[in-house]
Amino acid sequence: MFNELDPILHSQLRLAVISLLISVKEAEFTFLKEKTNATAGNLSVQINKLKEAGYIDVRKQFKDNYPLTTCKITASGVLAFEEYVKNLHSYLRIDPKGNRDHKK
Amino acid sequence: MTAEKQLSETDSLRIISQMIDQAKQENRENGKGWILWGWLLFLTSIFSFVNYKLDLFSQYIFWNGFGILALVYFLFKALQYFFFNSKEKVKSYTKDLLQKANIGFFVSLTVITVGVNVKIDPVTGFTILIILYGFWLLIYGAALNFKPFTIGAVLTWGLGLASLFVNTFDKVMLFHAAAVLCGYIIPGHMANNEFRKARKGASINQDLSV
Repeated sequence: MFNELDPILHSQLRLAVISLLISVKEAEFTFLKEKTNATAGNLSVQINKLKEAGYIDVRKQFKDNYPLTTCKITASGVLAFEEYVKNLHSYLRIDPKGNRDHKK
Repeated sequence: MTAEKQLSETDSLRIISQMIDQAKQENRENGKGWILWGWLLFLTSIFSFVNYKLDLFSQYIFWNGFGILALVYFLFKALQYFFFNSKEKVKSYTKDLLQKANIGFFVSLTVITVGVNVKIDPVTGFTILIILYGFWLLIYGAALNFKPFTIGAVLTWGLGLASLFVNTFDKVMLFHAAAVLCGYIIPGHMANNEFRKARKGASINQDLSV
């Protein structure tokens, strides 16, 4: 039986953001925008969704009179991502070593 | 609200792997610092060796020149950091570790340099420096998972150990030049090549706009 994939993470842009944040300590909004090629408006909406779910922390400050938004993954974000990847593996029938199970 | 594209499980895995690769790019060493400082240290060692043999100028003239250059560079970097706010867009745990290792290295380097000027015999001082290079290289090799630095560390330690058995300035300069070549210059050029290759690969953009 398969566990349902987390709907918060099962979205192209939100998954991209969380995958970037899992690999770094923290990242500015401009870095996420540059790496995902998303529009500022869309990225902002998806970041808010991740924040509301408690998966990321968002810090807003000013640098040289310009707004500076920094994002950081939270402990529950890390857990949710790990769970998502585990469920993904079971959907694709990949064992933890990365081999595909071809049995039906 | 923007409509979201349907995402298959295979798409999800692709996105995760692409984004982790993108983030890894941030930790990749471009090798430029190693190449620049490596060649400067190498040439200073070789010029000092030649100078010692031919007895042209005062013994430490090239090292004094190098010291002034290094001081100007670090002052410039400090000014840039404090006044021009060159904060990076992303912070990673690896970068944090390397920044702290750099502070440790430069403090040790400064103390040894002061020691050479006031108390320690220069031959011993340069041997200690070679051994310190090995330690720094090992940390970089491990943190960046880049084998040429780790191999450079082992070779540098070997040269450091061997230089314990020489007792003249000219010979220790040759050991120093060899250590810099194995530890800084060769791995630096290799890192730079890999960095450029990886950048080319990463320039194939994927549009993730939903």
